[in-house]
Amino acid sequence: MKEYSSIWVKILKHAFLLLGCVVMVLPFVWMLSTSLKIPSEVLSWPPQLIPKTFTLQNYVTVFQTAPFVKFFFNSVTMSVVSTVCILVTSTIAGYVFGKFNFPGKNFLFVLTLATSMVPLEVYMIPLYMQMVKLSWVNTFMGLVAPYLIMSYGIFFMRQNIMSSIPDELLDAARIDGAGEFSIFFRVVYPMLSGPSGALAIFAFQQTWAAFIWPLIVTSTRDLWTMELGLGMFQYRFTVDLGPINAGSMLSVFPVLIVFLFLRKKIVRGITLTGLKN
Amino acid sequence: MKIMRKLFLVALVLLVALQMGFAKGSSESASESKPQTITLWSGYPEMEPFYKQAAEKFKETHPNVTIEIVSHPLREFEQKLSATIPSNTVADIIEVSVYANQKFIEAGLIPEDEGEVLDFVKADGRFSDFAIANDSYNGKIYGVPLFQGRTALYYNTDMFAEAGITEPPTTFEEMYEDAKKLAKYDSAGNLTRSGHSLRLSGQGSGVAEKFWFVLYPMGGTFIEEGKTAGTYHAAYNNDAGRKALTYYIDAVYKDHWDDQKIKHDAESFELGQTAMFFRESWVIGDIASKAPNLNYATAPVPKDARWGRITNIENLYVTKASKNPDLAWEFVLSLLSEENQRWMFENVGWLPCRNDIDISDIIERHPQFAAFTYTDPDYDEYGYLPIAAFDEVITKLAERLVTAFLDSSLEGNDAAIAKTISDAANETNEILKRYNLYGE
Amino acid sequence: MKKNNNTIAVPLKRYISQTEKKKRIFVYCSIIPVIAIFAFVRIIPICTNFVYSLFESTVVNPTQKFVGLKNFIELFHDQLFLLSLRNTTIFALFVTIFSVAIAILLAALLTTQSKLSPLYETIYFLPVITPMVPVAVVWKWIYDPTYGLLNYILSWFGISPIGWLVYPNTALIAIIIMSVWKIVGYNMIIFLVGMRDIPETYIEAARIDGASSNQVFWKVIMPLLRPILLFVFVISTINSFNVFTQVFIMTSGAQGAPGNAVRTIVFDIYENGFRYFRTGYAAAEAVVLFVIILLLTFIQFGISGKGDSSKKKRAIFRKGAVK
Repeated sequence: MKEYSSIWVKILKHAFLLLGCVVMVLPFVWMLSTSLKIPSEVLSWPPQLIPKTFTLQNYVTVFQTAPFVKFFFNSVTMSVVSTVCILVTSTIAGYVFGKFNFPGKNFLFVLTLATSMVPLEVYMIPLYMQMVKLSWVNTFMGLVAPYLIMSYGIFFMRQNIMSSIPDELLDAARIDGAGEFSIFFRVVYPMLSGPSGALAIFAFQQTWAAFIWPLIVTSTRDLWTMELGLGMFQYRFTVDLGPINAGSMLSVFPVLIVFLFLRKKIVRGITLTGLKN
Repeated sequence: MKIMRKLFLVALVLLVALQMGFAKGSSESASESKPQTITLWSGYPEMEPFYKQAAEKFKETHPNVTIEIVSHPLREFEQKLSATIPSNTVADIIEVSVYANQKFIEAGLIPEDEGEVLDFVKADGRFSDFAIANDSYNGKIYGVPLFQGRTALYYNTDMFAEAGITEPPTTFEEMYEDAKKLAKYDSAGNLTRSGHSLRLSGQGSGVAEKFWFVLYPMGGTFIEEGKTAGTYHAAYNNDAGRKALTYYIDAVYKDHWDDQKIKHDAESFELGQTAMFFRESWVIGDIASKAPNLNYATAPVPKDARWGRITNIENLYVTKASKNPDLAWEFVLSLLSEENQRWMFENVGWLPCRNDIDISDIIERHPQFAAFTYTDPDYDEYGYLPIAAFDEVITKLAERLVTAFLDSSLEGNDAAIAKTISDAANETNEILKRYNLYGE
Repeated sequence: MKKNNNTIAVPLKRYISQTEKKKRIFVYCSIIPVIAIFAFVRIIPICTNFVYSLFESTVVNPTQKFVGLKNFIELFHDQLFLLSLRNTTIFALFVTIFSVAIAILLAALLTTQSKLSPLYETIYFLPVITPMVPVAVVWKWIYDPTYGLLNYILSWFGISPIGWLVYPNTALIAIIIMSVWKIVGYNMIIFLVGMRDIPETYIEAARIDGASSNQVFWKVIMPLLRPILLFVFVISTINSFNVFTQVFIMTSGAQGAPGNAVRTIVFDIYENGFRYFRTGYAAAEAVVLFVIILLLTFIQFGISGKGDSSKKKRAIFRKGAVK
């Protein structure tokens, strides 16, 4: 009896997961398919998933229209710098907020959390004015400024640290005479590979997808990111579906690769060697 | 040690970033002999090839000048202007309509036309009175008209032939009857082809703008000037306004030749899901690439109590932030040359504003353009009023219209239609009052 | 690390003050640079914007005329704002609940997988990274009244075609479904991380004690996941109250949903700020939005308790007493 029901459960599980997959993957498949279609087929209705005529022209158009290689390089640099910065600041701040007490801690934490509640659209003009004052308009620093830090990141690391790193472990290390910085680098940080991986992918994806801020802070095209470049296929009244999907495919791949690369990290989890003490 | 490696990596990345941080985007220099850059921002990505070829031509006579063109998707472009114009970090030249730029003009952030440029704009027979009025504010003229979007009727010649209609409609009543004949339904009574594709839904001011196509010929408009110059009030709380709304309601609920559930606009026309619709000349290029086998023609907008079509003028302005205004204006005037204007018309499809250039051969090659250049003393031109409140007025009206179009209870209910119109007009007047522009 | 079982050589008081001092230095050295960056790219511009809410603005000068609370008073009589508030609240409520619930379910299902798991994880993450333009086009097709996928599937059950994006009441539901779809993979990853952080030993200990899968899930895993759960709820609430892009893109164009049906607060702020240039008024709206989110966050923190579950882990470990 038990075996019987567990097979059904397994089938149900897989059916559910598979159905979900189909729904999840549909726009992606459509995006790929449209990127390979010729203009007259792009508009066919009802939509055909498999193009009758395959073409790579859209990809060619993407590279011909604008220096997408440079845009790609800009996007990569911006996202990597941002991700590294966010990882460092979030981990340290998350650790401090999660495992220490100091005057003003709660206030500061609430402040960081509160600032994540305000969307960029609301404060981007005053931030832009600050960039003007610093002459950071149309510079790399201006481009990456709002993406150096991520309030969610701090919150996320704090929660993960509080949930998986026991105080005893830290106290044990302190009793052993280890300095605080040493504890951080040798005890805490290695235990955070899962959350770090997750945070890295989130940060990378967020910065990669940035649109309105790079648009406002750049005056010339040499600092444009891929997302901005893609926007060029959105004309006044129509969207050039072929090239914009080709460009979107090119834009999605780096993020996908980063995800695949970090996925193992996220999945591996941690082993609590410290507790065996 | 793993940590050391990671720290090293981090340091390397930060170093690269720092080095890039001190690298700026291309900047402009002030001295004449050094290479100079002029930046132009456009809100129409499809215009980019036009600017590029004009820039190349310009470089032949100005070898040490680089023109940098940046085109943006339109609504984000408006946000960008909001940040950059007040902070003087905007490009040398911007291509934008009065509609979007008016608030900056009124705030004194855009320099007025002077000298050679003013002479060019005011030259006899060059630009229509409508265009000049459009670009004027407080007795001064701003910017130079680059191209215009004029509306005409697109119709599917195959469908017309099939329905036995030989000529495109010349009045709105004819158009209504034609639409009835051209609409197609499936066995369940659902509309599968609209007789004419009205704009029934969507965000922003589009719905109101397309409503104007019907409102104006019927004798109304959104706002008109009051007794005191510089004051305005709602001008559609009348028979014309009610008749226009009734036209739409009847189309959807009485005779059902259009419906929110099917596709609309250029897409629908290209897919053969509508027989007619009103739009500007850019559709011609769109059809050529997406539906090259479509058999269609264009005609002037039909008449009713009066006759007219929308004209939207897109201007070029040199901004206060420009460090080389003379050079910038030179390039602007070169974009207005006959050669460049003809290139723009033939290759991009937007209509030049200049009345003193010869484009008849282009029209011969592409007869669909004829309806857009058609003139007649009774065929009015109307368009956005150059006042900052206009956008808010029509956007809020658009939202009310979308709701009204979804309301089947308005059908045959004159009182309800009248109330809808008068409520909307009240809101329009309230908005005008807030801008201190209201006057009967 | 030295594992030293010697007794403490230093007198207790001096030991405590030494460690406290080290702690303090560490805290200040690490937190100050972070707060500095924060102040610069978040706190200052946000506060600047909030100050604008007390003024009536013009294009040139956001702080043209001080009007105190006038913007706020006008706001609460503004039909469009109240409509946006209603829409946004409904949106946030449903998106948060569904995206969290489905994500936990998915994560739970996937932790028991090992072979196909990577594939599933990647596929479920795809919507998160797919850009908005293709997403909007596909979903507009899915919702199309005549040829759309959704109506096609519903027709198998005999349901007649629904104009999803046409009518106001269904338009909001449609965008809620799409938003849940887009974000569920993101939440799922967070739960996966949290679940995998729970060592096998705890689960084994519970099973050895005779717990069923259900009990393991509800009595061991869920309590330990509390901080993560709190995190996901809070950020889901924040993100859904701040929704903008998908609303914008689904209502644009000639086939767009009726604007007001799905009008959200941030969209209203955008219109007031960038279309009508009423910077002060838009800022007041932003302040109100912020206060709402802040209140909701406090409530969620309150409900959740302290959120430090490492103590719980110790308790479970001790109770489980590995044999």
